[in-house]
Amino acid sequence: MKKILFTSLILAAAGIVNAQQPVPAKKQSKSVLLMNGICHVGNGKVIQNSVVGFKDGVITLVGDATVMRLDLSQWDTTINVAGKHVYPGFIAPNSTLGLTEIEAVRATSDFNEVGYMNPHVRTQQSYNTDSKITPTVRTNGVLVAQITPRGGRISGTSSIMNLDGWNWEDATLKADDGIHINWPGYYSRNWSEDGPGPYERNKNYAERRADLEKFFAEARAYCMTPKPAEKNLRFEAMRGVFNGTQMIYIHADNVKDIAEAVTFSNKFGLKKVSIVGGAESYKCTELLKTNNISVMLARVHNLPMRADEDVNQPYKTAKMLQEAGVLFCFENSGDQEATGLRNLPFLAGTAVAWGLEKEAAIAALTSNAAKILGIGDLVGTIEEKKQATLFVSDGDALDMKTNKVTHAFIQGKSIQLTNEQQQLYDLYSEKYGMDAK
Amino acid sequence: MKHLFTVLACTAVFSLNAQTPTFPENGARNPNHTIYALKGATIQVDPENVISNGTMLVQDERILAVGASVIVPKEAVVMDLTGKFIYASFIDAYTTYGMPEVPRRKWNPEPQFVSARAGAFGWNEALKPETDASKMFSSHQASAEEFRSIGFGTVMMFAKDGIARGTAGVATLNAEDGDNKALLKAKAAACYSFDKGSSAQDYPSSLMGAIALLRQTYYDADWYRTAKNKTEFNLTLDAWNNNQSLPSFFETTDKWNVLRADKIGDEFKVQYVFKGSGNEYQRMDEMKATNGSFILPLNFPDAYDLEDPYDAEMISYADLKHWELAPLNPGAFEKYNIRFAITTSDLREKKDFLSRVRKAILYGLTPKAALKALTTTPAELLGIQNEAGSLKAGMLANFIITSGNIFEEGTVIHENWVRGHRYIINDMNALDLRGTYDLNVTSMAPAKLKIEGEPSRMKATHIVADTIKQSASISVSGNMVTLSFPSKEKEGTIRLSGLVNSESKFMNGRGQMPDGTWIDWMASQSEAFKPKEKEKDTTQKDIPTLDDVIYPFNAYGQTRKDTSRLTRLLHTYNAILIKNVTVWTNSNDKDSIIPNTDVYIVDGKIVRIAPNIIPTKTAFALTIDGTGKHLTPGIIDEHSHIAISGGVNEGTQAATSEVRIGDVINPDDVNIYRQLSGGVVAAQLLHGSANPIGGQSALIKLRWGANAEQMKIKGADGFIKFALGENVKQANWGDNQVTRFPQTRMGVEQVYYDHFIRAKEYHAQWEAWKAMPQKDKEKATPPRRDLELDALVEILFGTRFITCHSYVQSEINMLMHVSDSMGFKVNTFTHILEGYKVADKMKAHGAGASSFSDWWAYKYEVKDAIPYNAALLYRMGIVTAINSDDAEMARRLNQEAAKSIKYGGLSETQSLQLVTLNPAKLLHLDSHMGQIKVGMDADVVLWSDNPTSVYAKVETTIVDGQVMYNSKDDEEIRKNMEEDRARITQKMIAEKNDGAPVRPVKSRRPKLWDCEDMEYDGDYLNDNENNEEE
Repeated sequence: MKKILFTSLILAAAGIVNAQQPVPAKKQSKSVLLMNGICHVGNGKVIQNSVVGFKDGVITLVGDATVMRLDLSQWDTTINVAGKHVYPGFIAPNSTLGLTEIEAVRATSDFNEVGYMNPHVRTQQSYNTDSKITPTVRTNGVLVAQITPRGGRISGTSSIMNLDGWNWEDATLKADDGIHINWPGYYSRNWSEDGPGPYERNKNYAERRADLEKFFAEARAYCMTPKPAEKNLRFEAMRGVFNGTQMIYIHADNVKDIAEAVTFSNKFGLKKVSIVGGAESYKCTELLKTNNISVMLARVHNLPMRADEDVNQPYKTAKMLQEAGVLFCFENSGDQEATGLRNLPFLAGTAVAWGLEKEAAIAALTSNAAKILGIGDLVGTIEEKKQATLFVSDGDALDMKTNKVTHAFIQGKSIQLTNEQQQLYDLYSEKYGMDAK
Repeated sequence: MKHLFTVLACTAVFSLNAQTPTFPENGARNPNHTIYALKGATIQVDPENVISNGTMLVQDERILAVGASVIVPKEAVVMDLTGKFIYASFIDAYTTYGMPEVPRRKWNPEPQFVSARAGAFGWNEALKPETDASKMFSSHQASAEEFRSIGFGTVMMFAKDGIARGTAGVATLNAEDGDNKALLKAKAAACYSFDKGSSAQDYPSSLMGAIALLRQTYYDADWYRTAKNKTEFNLTLDAWNNNQSLPSFFETTDKWNVLRADKIGDEFKVQYVFKGSGNEYQRMDEMKATNGSFILPLNFPDAYDLEDPYDAEMISYADLKHWELAPLNPGAFEKYNIRFAITTSDLREKKDFLSRVRKAILYGLTPKAALKALTTTPAELLGIQNEAGSLKAGMLANFIITSGNIFEEGTVIHENWVRGHRYIINDMNALDLRGTYDLNVTSMAPAKLKIEGEPSRMKATHIVADTIKQSASISVSGNMVTLSFPSKEKEGTIRLSGLVNSESKFMNGRGQMPDGTWIDWMASQSEAFKPKEKEKDTTQKDIPTLDDVIYPFNAYGQTRKDTSRLTRLLHTYNAILIKNVTVWTNSNDKDSIIPNTDVYIVDGKIVRIAPNIIPTKTAFALTIDGTGKHLTPGIIDEHSHIAISGGVNEGTQAATSEVRIGDVINPDDVNIYRQLSGGVVAAQLLHGSANPIGGQSALIKLRWGANAEQMKIKGADGFIKFALGENVKQANWGDNQVTRFPQTRMGVEQVYYDHFIRAKEYHAQWEAWKAMPQKDKEKATPPRRDLELDALVEILFGTRFITCHSYVQSEINMLMHVSDSMGFKVNTFTHILEGYKVADKMKAHGAGASSFSDWWAYKYEVKDAIPYNAALLYRMGIVTAINSDDAEMARRLNQEAAKSIKYGGLSETQSLQLVTLNPAKLLHLDSHMGQIKVGMDADVVLWSDNPTSVYAKVETTIVDGQVMYNSKDDEEIRKNMEEDRARITQKMIAEKNDGAPVRPVKSRRPKLWDCEDMEYDGDYLNDNENNEEE
């Protein structure tokens, strides 16, 4: 009965408006040259009057139009983007996009699996390329996302997806890039029927940490066993961590937790480690820098954790990391994280308002994120031989006022820049006889 | 003397029946009317009068005579109390002594709408006015002893359960004499609180619900009392009415709750006696203004263990400050000349009581006021001033005998007499062996024995060669002494027993070595006991004063004493000139931005906008250079849930229009300051969206440091929250919440029709009543005043306006149909995420819209939300605003508004209107807010950049012509706060090193509400960050 009701609801909803998902783009067959745009390379450099050309999904030409001689006949399509801005596609790490549709509807939620140590649980094949949310995210310049599981001590294995594709195989940029650990908090709060209690020292901290060490020690032992008598999927999933091909992402905000995560990584000789969240990372920049550990910085649009803290601390942290030389990028986990992912560029914008240099903010959204996720050789800058994952905005893409994406390419494929929300807007503007501005 | 005690104790047991004449005797009667003459003591008759070397005669349970020259009858038993002090024993006006334990609230997964109690009681289980503590009371020997040992003789006791808790009695602490001899007064007070206690009924689930319940019950009880034709028998209302002749005691858990209770009292002409919570010193002017008396706990918090600097960061500045200032509380009441009593209530350990009183005295309370608060004041509050609290002939023989001034360190209570029953606390006749002795034990090297402490509790140390010290145990019984200490030579303990010659300070006897060998020993005093020189209290100079209180009491609060920064930080300007600034006037769509001009503000109003203004006022004037900067009207958040105490939803019923957010404004919320830092100057604080007809809103300006009433916008129209959709039909509340009507959108419509039709009928009843001739009225029963329907009548008659939480077009349309047919308008649809689908209908109805910029798909009903909504509605000619519903987003509403430039193509000035002028219009404040125009309120924001840009930062926020936030001041405030934190932290660590008890860190973070927050199982009184945990 429930099922029938649900189906008919969907039909009813579909009947109201005739909105359609954008169609996945076709493989790049014709070469494209973007002329005269302000090119933000993604590594801190800007080319004020640029040419950017790409063929077969790969960038083949990047240069300064004022000093270059161009043979336009070599290009199938030439687009004049004078006065507009060209950016590498923004990268959204630590996201549940495609694993959730409507937060309050349990049936649409696919990011939190049962279990405590779940490295074998993978997001890649659960990623829904047909999510209604994705088109609203790409229209603001976010073209790549790390799809990340949640929950447990070890949540599972993430994958990095291009935000366009017919199916998850199509969309995969890098499968199984890393394992996610939720660091046991040094401080914790108890929940009772009276609601959340105050934060205090976690009485079970030592035990929780020991659980994690035990798991790592045993997984490593398993991976060193030439032929394990029985297969253990959880341990198998850890091979990449120990042979250095996979990242370890440790989710931790408190400075003590971050410091402990660093010690833990060193103990197990983990080379590829990033702190996810890192709200208090600004308090231990030296430690992070010396250990070569990066930070996926928690949502900038956040309140400070404590009443006494600098009201604007979350706005200032990015600049402090930059100044200290800690590699960082921006992430948007938290309430409404998937639907709010389209605001990722504006998180960087706010960080700029509070002192981060604009090109450094763009780098954080692009090349830094790519480096941290281990896809720096594929995307993240507008440089020759990189994948042609980039977009054009009429104005400054970090400012909501001027962010207006007119062209977007993923691996050279020209992305349809529409979404159901725009279609509804057009539909009702027409109903009322207004121009849809 | 010891002898006498034994006899007395026996007498007490035997006299029990003899002195309770209604009880039958078993055996011979044992009448005993011995007169005791207490001679030579310093008698503190009452706080004002003292007799040195006085005499007091006691017979049976009363004082026979007190004076300097009382003639002692020759048959009296005389006690020589030379050097001792006698005080009336203390009275605790707030205890649960001798009361049964209160049952825990049962967790109830499903809703419970009305009382589950059997009997002809009222509808709400939290109201128990019929509870009679005197009938539940039974003396409890162990806790009586605990009270007596700290000087108490009399206590008030009540049943601590519920919002109306019934009546309190008074009992004396002679627990061994039987309850008939202990109960002193059956009904001394009626007790109230905001805490629903063990009631498992849903309503109230919030502090504002508890307030509404009290108000409605006062009205109901009055109606019930005066009704000519009663339609029901209601034991609860009967009892409630009977209790009105008693003093009313109201227990509070926070200083603001005192004001909340007092407001109820004012409405119903009841002056409560407030049981305080210990943080009243933070708002003494307001406490004074209540005209109430107080019963104050001494729950000064223990220091935190802050040795780990990161742990220390967990503790808020407010908690640190409260730790430092809490002992000022009783003294503050004396200073403000407010009548107060002191209670042991809220103390973790009663034995700490006297040291807490002494601490309060160190912090400024005078000993006289302390004594008053412990004796005569509680006696007056309980109406027993002719029985207890002072030492006069005819009064109860309730007194204590002490070794000295009770408020001085080191003074001990020797005896506590309760109704003539003598209890020894520290025997004043105990053998005093204190001093240093030469100890000689056969076959052992000579040693010293040092005996210190109180005579009744001596401590001994065995010292060999002046260096090797071991503690020894000593006990005395009669003239026999027992000593033991570890042996140096052999494993084990040396045990000695002997006789004392107290005249010659000599002891001797026999003893056994660890191996069983018998030995002889003797000890003779070589040095008399010298009490420890009281170290001059070095902390004396660190004692804070009320000047150290910060307003509000939280991070970013400021003291009122800091004259050096007065003009910048204390918001006392009466004139501000902002020069050469780009002004966004909001006057109309064109020419609304004036570059390079001056804006002059005097006495909270904008008085001139022109280039090169020459200021007319110079005293307390501030000039701000606005070159390159932008000045806009302050941001108004149409939908906010900050600064609210005790829950944002009273969602336990489908309609709760009787509850008022205005009753529960929390001026201490740090989010007020945070939002000022984002340019917000005013907000509508809304009830949540848990029910179709929610509670009444409060419109406030963010006057940081003011109290709740001062924050409210004077003369503002009344508003109320309505809600539609998934929240009100409890769609996402789990499988237990499926019985409250409505559970579907169909039901929501009927809730409205039902309530508005009832409201119309209710109004008609009142009109008919008003029109009735006086002589008819005398025979008739007036309509019952219904606070819920009152609010709906206000809507019907256009004096209260609806802000309705709404998402889906069908329900938006439905509510407009309901309102059209009932004859009122929906003022504002808030959220209104499908407003774009019914924009034409909204326009025809005349409703405004207050939306999110880009939230969507967090619930099924918002899957069609689009970020173009606000722009489309704006361009359809609907008054449209962007709101926050979120404490974080509220401080960058300019960014949210600017999204309407991207999504839907509004101009920059139009987008700014979404968060300034338009919310002012929706809230009917636009006659004085929302624009920069001569005559308007000076609520303005200075931005570093074009305010529609993500790169714009707030430099200064001005509310009513006063600087409430400034980015430079912010840095300085933070620097000072860090220094002060460090200072207090060091002080706490020093206390720990001195051996004071410390507690581990616990960090309560500010509660952030949104629409959908329901309080957890009625724990709505615990969201105050500064609540002490004892």
